[in-house]
Amino acid sequence: MAKQDILAPVSGSVWKIECEVGQQVAEGDVIMILESMKMEIPVEAPAAGKLTALAVGEGDGVEEDGVLGAIEP
Amino acid sequence: MNDHSPPPAGSMADRLEELEFRRAEARKMGGETSIERQHSAGRLTVRERIDALADADSFTELGGLAGTGSYDAQERLQSVTPAPYVGGTVTIGGRKVVVGGEDFTVRGGTTFSATRRKGGQGGLVEDFAYHYRLPLVNLVDGAGGTVGSIEKRRHTVFPGVHGFERSVSLLGQSPVASAVLGTAAGGPAGRAILSHFSVMIRGSSQIFAAGPPVVKRSLGQQIDKEELGGAKVAVDKAGTIHNAADTEEEAFDQIRRFLSFMPQNVWEMPPVTACDDPVERCEEALLNIVPERRTQAFDMKKLIRLIADRDSEFEIQPTHGKSVITMLARFNGRPAGIVGNNPMVYGGAMDDKSARKQIRFMQLCDTFHIPLIFLVDVPGFMVGLRAEENATLLEGMRVVHAAANISVPTTTLVIRKCYGMAGMATCNKNGVDYKLAWPTGEWGSLPIEGGVAAAFRREIAAADDPAAKEREIEARLRPFASPFRTAEAFAVEDIIDPRETRPVLCSLVELAELRIAHDLGPRGVFNFLP
Repeated sequence: MAKQDILAPVSGSVWKIECEVGQQVAEGDVIMILESMKMEIPVEAPAAGKLTALAVGEGDGVEEDGVLGAIEP
Repeated sequence: MNDHSPPPAGSMADRLEELEFRRAEARKMGGETSIERQHSAGRLTVRERIDALADADSFTELGGLAGTGSYDAQERLQSVTPAPYVGGTVTIGGRKVVVGGEDFTVRGGTTFSATRRKGGQGGLVEDFAYHYRLPLVNLVDGAGGTVGSIEKRRHTVFPGVHGFERSVSLLGQSPVASAVLGTAAGGPAGRAILSHFSVMIRGSSQIFAAGPPVVKRSLGQQIDKEELGGAKVAVDKAGTIHNAADTEEEAFDQIRRFLSFMPQNVWEMPPVTACDDPVERCEEALLNIVPERRTQAFDMKKLIRLIADRDSEFEIQPTHGKSVITMLARFNGRPAGIVGNNPMVYGGAMDDKSARKQIRFMQLCDTFHIPLIFLVDVPGFMVGLRAEENATLLEGMRVVHAAANISVPTTTLVIRKCYGMAGMATCNKNGVDYKLAWPTGEWGSLPIEGGVAAAFRREIAAADDPAAKEREIEARLRPFASPFRTAEAFAVEDIIDPRETRPVLCSLVELAELRIAHDLGPRGVFNFLP
């Protein structure tokens, strides 16, 4: 399986990043938490693998379906 | 080939032989090669589809002899190419249903010129459903009319001469479900939209106003049919079609599920089934489903599973407008429509898509007298530039408008937040307007935090420590936000223990049935807008 992008489920801002680049994650692990409509929206790993990139930092604004990072198996 | 002469024919035996020959020709559809091509595309033939949808051996065909005969010089019948549409009556779950679909193996399911249309927009199948007040299932797999017919006719046809009048009037009377099973453009695409429930196959069926060649010519855009009108666009993004299925069998299963909640027509009661799930099932898990932190979302679908009859839910539009959940379900065997806000998507805020979805669902339930239950956790309309550009305010107020125009009994149960005009869209003010809440409920025109900053701006600005002043005012107002204060004022009718939710809702749906029994019939001229 190839590299898989982590996409923002909603528009909002990045509240807290829970993982570091290089870290191994399981499918469903919380990568970061977005804040949208005053709610905490967890972003989960779409697959198991190594987190190879983060495209955003805490406080950044994100658009729905925008790329937040990438996972490689 | 036999000698099937025109009248004066021979004996009854000869005539029966001709009848059997014509019936056999109809069953051959477009011939072996065309059927193989249909199968290798992963698609069933229309006759296989009818068998897969219906109860075993329940199909009674209507108009099976229609077609184009080919005759020799002595006018002896050689063969018949059947009309590219097959229809009739079947039973589904033991109840009579009218069904019809284009036969793609015959000239790609294009329209067939005959004295009377068999189905599609108008035609015998629709007339049957209308006259006998039966549900209709459309199995859509045709490309519609062809420009080629102009040459035969020697004139062009004004749009609507063979129009959608019957399709529209049916929507006010009988449940209509459509499955898009091939590539639908033009008339068949329009026919699929004029339904109470529609489903298409993810990856193998497409629907659009016009296909790639027209797009190329009109806009110069190169786009393939799956990109233009696959389920990703038509179901997930646009909501043009309600649901997607992975296979044709799954699509038929969804249609059977949908119809199992529907009465045969607007003059009948929604069907009640036996229920072995105890009404008094009070789930402890309901006590901690709403997180202590107000900023944390929870799983509304899990909540619904804990209160409805076990495994009774059927979700409509699960992949579109996801900030609201619309589901048919049963409470002690009685159908109900659930509108639940979904805090996991935009905190449950109503956007243009979820607004349209909620309207369609409320009107569906109102048309077929299925009581509505609102499970509320809505912070308001979606905010921001994109939301304004998408006319969220207009679409949201249309939900308020729709809620004011339904007459089916409704129950509002506030799980957590109920704010603003989106909150108003969760009640029917013209009915009993029965509003319940869990002890976690909170409501208002707008939330206290944020609201305070605006309402007390001058007082806050004048303070030595404005931030402390804002917190002080918030703390002063906070106790009034207790749901019990509102219950004291009798502005919500009751607050319930979350564990009591199932027995309370079962009892209210039963009560609704008593009222509905006196309220059957059509909604009026403006029946159901898809």
